Amino acid sequence: MITFSNTVKRYPNGFEALKGVTLSIAKGEMVAITGHSGAGKSTLLKLAAGIEAASKGSVLVNNQNLAEIKETGLGVLRRNLGLVFQDHKLLFDRNAFENVALPLSIAQFPRADIGKRVRAALDKVGLLDREKAHPITLSGGEQQRLCIARAIVNRPAILIADEPTGHLDQSYGATILDLFKSFNQVGVTVLLSTHDELNLARLKCRRIHLEMGRVAT
Amino acid sequence: MIGAWISAHGQACLRAFKRMGASPAASIISTLVIGIAIMLPLGLYSLFSNVTAAASRLNTEPNVNVYLQVAAKDDDALQTEKRLKAIANVAEVKFVPREVALAEMKRLASMADLLNGLDTNPLPHAFTLRPRATDEASLEQMQKELLALPKVDAVVMDFEWAKKLKRFATFAERLVMLLGAVLALAVVFVTGNTIRLQILTQKDEIEVSRLIGATKRFVRRPFLYFGALQGALAGGVAVAAMAALIWWAGQEVHALTISYGSDFQLQYLNAAQIASIIGIGAFLGWLGAYLSVSLYLRSARTV
Repeated sequence: MITFSNTVKRYPNGFEALKGVTLSIAKGEMVAITGHSGAGKSTLLKLAAGIEAASKGSVLVNNQNLAEIKETGLGVLRRNLGLVFQDHKLLFDRNAFENVALPLSIAQFPRADIGKRVRAALDKVGLLDREKAHPITLSGGEQQRLCIARAIVNRPAILIADEPTGHLDQSYGATILDLFKSFNQVGVTVLLSTHDELNLARLKCRRIHLEMGRVAT
Repeated sequence: MIGAWISAHGQACLRAFKRMGASPAASIISTLVIGIAIMLPLGLYSLFSNVTAAASRLNTEPNVNVYLQVAAKDDDALQTEKRLKAIANVAEVKFVPREVALAEMKRLASMADLLNGLDTNPLPHAFTLRPRATDEASLEQMQKELLALPKVDAVVMDFEWAKKLKRFATFAERLVMLLGAVLALAVVFVTGNTIRLQILTQKDEIEVSRLIGATKRFVRRPFLYFGALQGALAGGVAVAAMAALIWWAGQEVHALTISYGSDFQLQYLNAAQIASIIGIGAFLGWLGAYLSVSLYLRSARTV
């Protein structure tokens, strides 16, 4: 489903974040990318989401080489991915409902469907009673759950999450990772990066460890 | 599919209205600035078209005078009249016999004494012609044909002032076009700048939208509607201001022309012109927005 073949990512300043990564993630798999800060975890996820382009090698998602996809195709690809960002990237001038509805508006869903899907997604992450709340009034954990609701509202086949437990305490982190596990159990491919070794041990998923831009294990 | 497309455009249009309503003072000021920019060439155009309309009421048709040789007899004049009527560009022929010409000249006090002293009539038979086509090329062609006729001594064409008027009209037209082009650019820049400021306030939304699958077209759409809406409103402002100006100046102009025995009145813009101005305003606003958003998206970090 996601394949990296000898992928290199070099930034304009010359820094090589990925130095020839080759790995494959199968459909329905849950994979955790681990490694120290600067190991290349976020870069790897950005390449998988088509947010950054590889400098060398290739990245295939659903057998599509991302380097060959045009702008419109990239939009379609991202609409079929669920993206959870480390810094949430919520819109603070919109309430929870409107934040979660954004991907559906972009995908031009009918208004009636939007309401149903948004509430279903908010319910899934336990925020149904906060649909009118603005992100500024939500806690860090709630903001993360809101971000997850926005990622799953399109019912994507692939979920990509960059440090979803990064700003959370241990117990809340466990709740979030359990949430990802539940999505994976219904067939969603999950690719996430984390530092949370303790909770990860509980999850029993495949782990890929990165060191200095290379796959270590 | 078409329903979704219409819905997407409807939402983008609605968002454009909301954005305009969100900062009414800034929207009104920008609309007025653009409206004034549109009004300047529009005012010149209106002035030009009114001058043209006024000029068209004057008798600007050139007269062509054909003088026969002094020795030409009455029979020669008769033959020449037939030949003149056969020329395609001649609409009307008026014969001026030498005797009539002399009598008219004698009526002029300054010439009477001088002419009374002559034994013979020094004036030739003459014709005054009204041409069908009055453009320069047709008149020059006609002049050649007339000079080629037998017994014709001279051809005098009185169309220099018509040429001057035409040159003035061409100059005024070009001036309006030049000013229009410069101010159209100003409209594009003003709209572009307004949109640029909007983009800055909605940078996060654009970035997030792009990250979760919005195409550049999706991001651009509400801004394009905003630009077009603002341009159309500015066009409306320019039309309204122009109508007020014509009404204000029109009263004085009418009073002035009545004193000269004319009922000339300044013309208001017609429905087609109003629609064109609003349409052009909308297009320029759209163009400004398109350029501004495209420049931003090109420079934005998100791929």
